[in-house]
Amino acid sequence: MTMLTRRSFLATTGLTIGALGVAPRWLLRVAAQAQEKRKILIVVFQRGAADGLNMVVPFFEKRYSALRPSIAVAAPGAPNGGIDLDGRFALHPSLQPLKELWDSQRLAIIHAAGSSDPTRSHFDAQDYMESGTQGRKLEDGWLNRSVPLRRDRVSPMRAVAMGPQVPLTLRGSCGAIAVDDLSRSFQLGPPETAAVLERLYLTSSDVRLREHGKGTFDAARSLAAITKQPYTPANGAQYLGEFGRRLRQIAQLIKGDVGLEVAFADMGGWDHHTNETQQLGFLLREFGTSLAAFARDMGERMTDIVLVTMSEFGRTTAENGSGGTDHGHGNVMLVIGGMVRGGASYGEWPGLEQEQLFEGRDLAVTTDFRDVLGEVVSTHLGQNVAEVFPGHGVRASLGLLRS
Amino acid sequence: MNRYLRSAACVAWLLIAIYAASGHAANPFDQKLSPEKRITHLLNRLAYGPRPGDIDDVRRLGVETWIRRQLYPERIPQSPLLERKLQPLGSLQLATWQVYEGYMSGPAGMMMASAMSPSRLLAADQLVTFRSGSADQRRAILMAASPAIRRQLLLSLPAAALQDLPDMQVAAFNERAAEKDRLRPPLTEILTPAQLKTLMSGTEDEKTTLLSTLSMERRQQVLRQVEPEAVPEVFRREVVTLGQPAQMPLIELIDSKLYRAIFSTRQLEELLVDFWVNHFNVFSGKGPVRTLLTSYERDAIRPHVLGRFRDMLLATARHPAMLFYLDNWQSQGPRDDETRSGLNENYGRELMELHTLGAGGGYTQDDVVAVARAFTGWTIHEPGKYGEFFFNPAMHDREQKVVLGHTLVRGGGEDDGIRVIDILARHPSTARFIARKLAQRFVADDPPLSLVERVAVTFTKTDGDLRRTMETLLLAPEFMSDGAWQAKLKSPFEFVVSALRTLDAGVDDTVPLAQKLADMGQPLYGKTEPTGYLNTSAQWASSAGLLSRMQFAWVLTAGAIPGVTVDARRLETGNAQVVTLASVFISSPDFQKR
Repeated sequence: MTMLTRRSFLATTGLTIGALGVAPRWLLRVAAQAQEKRKILIVVFQRGAADGLNMVVPFFEKRYSALRPSIAVAAPGAPNGGIDLDGRFALHPSLQPLKELWDSQRLAIIHAAGSSDPTRSHFDAQDYMESGTQGRKLEDGWLNRSVPLRRDRVSPMRAVAMGPQVPLTLRGSCGAIAVDDLSRSFQLGPPETAAVLERLYLTSSDVRLREHGKGTFDAARSLAAITKQPYTPANGAQYLGEFGRRLRQIAQLIKGDVGLEVAFADMGGWDHHTNETQQLGFLLREFGTSLAAFARDMGERMTDIVLVTMSEFGRTTAENGSGGTDHGHGNVMLVIGGMVRGGASYGEWPGLEQEQLFEGRDLAVTTDFRDVLGEVVSTHLGQNVAEVFPGHGVRASLGLLRS
Repeated sequence: MNRYLRSAACVAWLLIAIYAASGHAANPFDQKLSPEKRITHLLNRLAYGPRPGDIDDVRRLGVETWIRRQLYPERIPQSPLLERKLQPLGSLQLATWQVYEGYMSGPAGMMMASAMSPSRLLAADQLVTFRSGSADQRRAILMAASPAIRRQLLLSLPAAALQDLPDMQVAAFNERAAEKDRLRPPLTEILTPAQLKTLMSGTEDEKTTLLSTLSMERRQQVLRQVEPEAVPEVFRREVVTLGQPAQMPLIELIDSKLYRAIFSTRQLEELLVDFWVNHFNVFSGKGPVRTLLTSYERDAIRPHVLGRFRDMLLATARHPAMLFYLDNWQSQGPRDDETRSGLNENYGRELMELHTLGAGGGYTQDDVVAVARAFTGWTIHEPGKYGEFFFNPAMHDREQKVVLGHTLVRGGGEDDGIRVIDILARHPSTARFIARKLAQRFVADDPPLSLVERVAVTFTKTDGDLRRTMETLLLAPEFMSDGAWQAKLKSPFEFVVSALRTLDAGVDDTVPLAQKLADMGQPLYGKTEPTGYLNTSAQWASSAGLLSRMQFAWVLTAGAIPGVTVDARRLETGNAQVVTLASVFISSPDFQKR
């Protein structure tokens, strides 16, 4: 047993852990040792089209407050005003926790980012942003394609989505699993039943069920081991809300050394057609607090981690008739990590003058979202951009990351 | 030479013909399903899986007759068991204003558990007086009532009903304070320290024992003061009923959905109600939608699932649940200063993208704006109170609009919206979009184009007659083909219901089942986005999903879901193997498909 290699460990687990039900923690560590120093990419998706113009406010634009008479974020210095970043842009006051990341140069902002596709359909735009291919819908997602190929057998937990389902962006040839709640039991019935079921799934003629079945049984073993210990975030990090719970679970997987390489967490509820001011404030508080808590919890490990946030498109520059905004175009992306050249904003600002707007109403897109993701995928994960984003030519680097 | 060439050409042609024929034969949607599979297929597709006896029924009637019967649900005798299950669900038949009065009004809902609804205490004209009468008229009614009735009224009437009656307001305040003490005495006064400790930190079993031994009044006093999560599952419904009556209409709607899916003999009708409620999705968590949903499903969807598409479309467009969910109730024409738009595009866009034409169905951003303008003024009369549609001319944009090339002339008023409904319901993109979505639900994730075309033709020719449309779809050879066989992955709802049906489970409480469905990613009436749950399998194929299904099978067959009793136990074989087999069967790959 002392000379247990990773390969033989994995071969063994397949045969015997099923009977034991649970793998001892140290055994998993052995398996994960080789992977501990791996780079990790975390993608956060704000579903429903978050209002980027109120998240990161271009307060230097004269037209900003005129376009949004009742919902504009007040300028820095005013009561409940934005948090000045660089004399041009300000964070929404509820994003206060992110200021520290900006100041310590671990947060970069890319405004007027998005896809060149003009759709204002949530669902088409999400599909496109998740697959990463314009005009044609692929069955697999860019995040799945960006998981590095490994020759030997790999951790069942290398690509994980937080939630009950695997989102499009994580579907594909690298098996990905969805985990909803790490505090729940991962036992699949009495051991003898589980063994029978595992055989049934591994021999099923249905490819989907065979693959997901395999993932289920492998992951259940990994998870049963790490979730036995209660998890306490480090450095007094305080996660907030359901989104915080998801990030906290990602942190738990990273610290559990289960071999995680890419993770996905989404947060819904951003489609603020009405009463935006109040709703956005609540959501951004949960969003910002939890992102900051994650960075705090990870501490030094942030050097190996890049976290990117995105949303399917932005919202109208002008407010609508119900104190909200309708579907727009360009939006803001955040990139957080220890190797990020943070404390700076990237990309060209297109402006809010009437003639500068996309189709005369929305913030234009000046940075394709694939340029941001492509740079992260190549610099951080060492992947070939052309394979992750087929059909998207390589552009000049934004210089987001230190290599 | 010439002849040689010609014969070579003949051979080549022959080869091509054979190849084409074999290619043709290889199309699984052209392969008839073998007879032994047909009945199973039918019950997996047009019902939530077979119940014991269903297979014999289909065999007796024949497949086609069974399908035709399901297309006329009103001719199928309903299950008496289902009727018994639905009978106590009091909110299902109420109008929305009655739901508000019965469950929502009164202080924090708490009193409603003991106080009668005013609508049960007073005659209809007296109720109207309370809504709009003078102070003297209202006082007269209160004084004329017997002391017991007056007390109930003071407990349950909304504050507005006692306006300008200061003495009555004081009396109501006192009655409510006394009632509160009676309903919620301090726990330290009614429980011993040991009992209190059990309630706070005991095991599930200890809590169950404690709560079961208390008198009913004591138990209710305790349950009124705890969160549903703090008590064992058997007591949760009681906690909600006592403490949060405002939740009851939705809970009863969920009850009815599960009971109907499990026990109804009109299975196709239930599948279609599920399909169309999901197609016209609204989210129970958004404002008053929770209360409006009962009427939405009952009045806007159910009557039309085998009727005319256009009627269902119009009914959803006018229903307060949709008006609120997609914000149209707030949308209005240009305001006086003309610099600010009053428009809200949300409904206009989703109406075309999700309800009718489909994304790529040939509309532009200009059409979105024009449709939104046409629907300005379609709003709700007091959304938090009566929840009824009304057209408010003051909010309406009177100018001319052009929708998909059709001009709506100036001053159309309320009819603008109806014109748009007619344009969209009859648009060829709508026929194709609806045909494809139905074929996806009933045949395969990627249904044959020729089938979709035929269904769309029927839809168009019959002006959106959904019974005829379904008939074309279900009697098509593709429906009973190899290509359709086990081609769909069950959604969590389909999985749970079919497991209960297969095991002939008895169900007396649906709250634990609804919770399990939420855990599996399909909370009922709980999809936030207007897409509804996706129609295709990819969404439900995940390891987390399989994990929760296997765990569900395990607890279900072990008899560990409160309110659910399972055949394997009812048989009292005492044979652990039967339970294990049932669990493996329900967890197996084949059972995940339909």
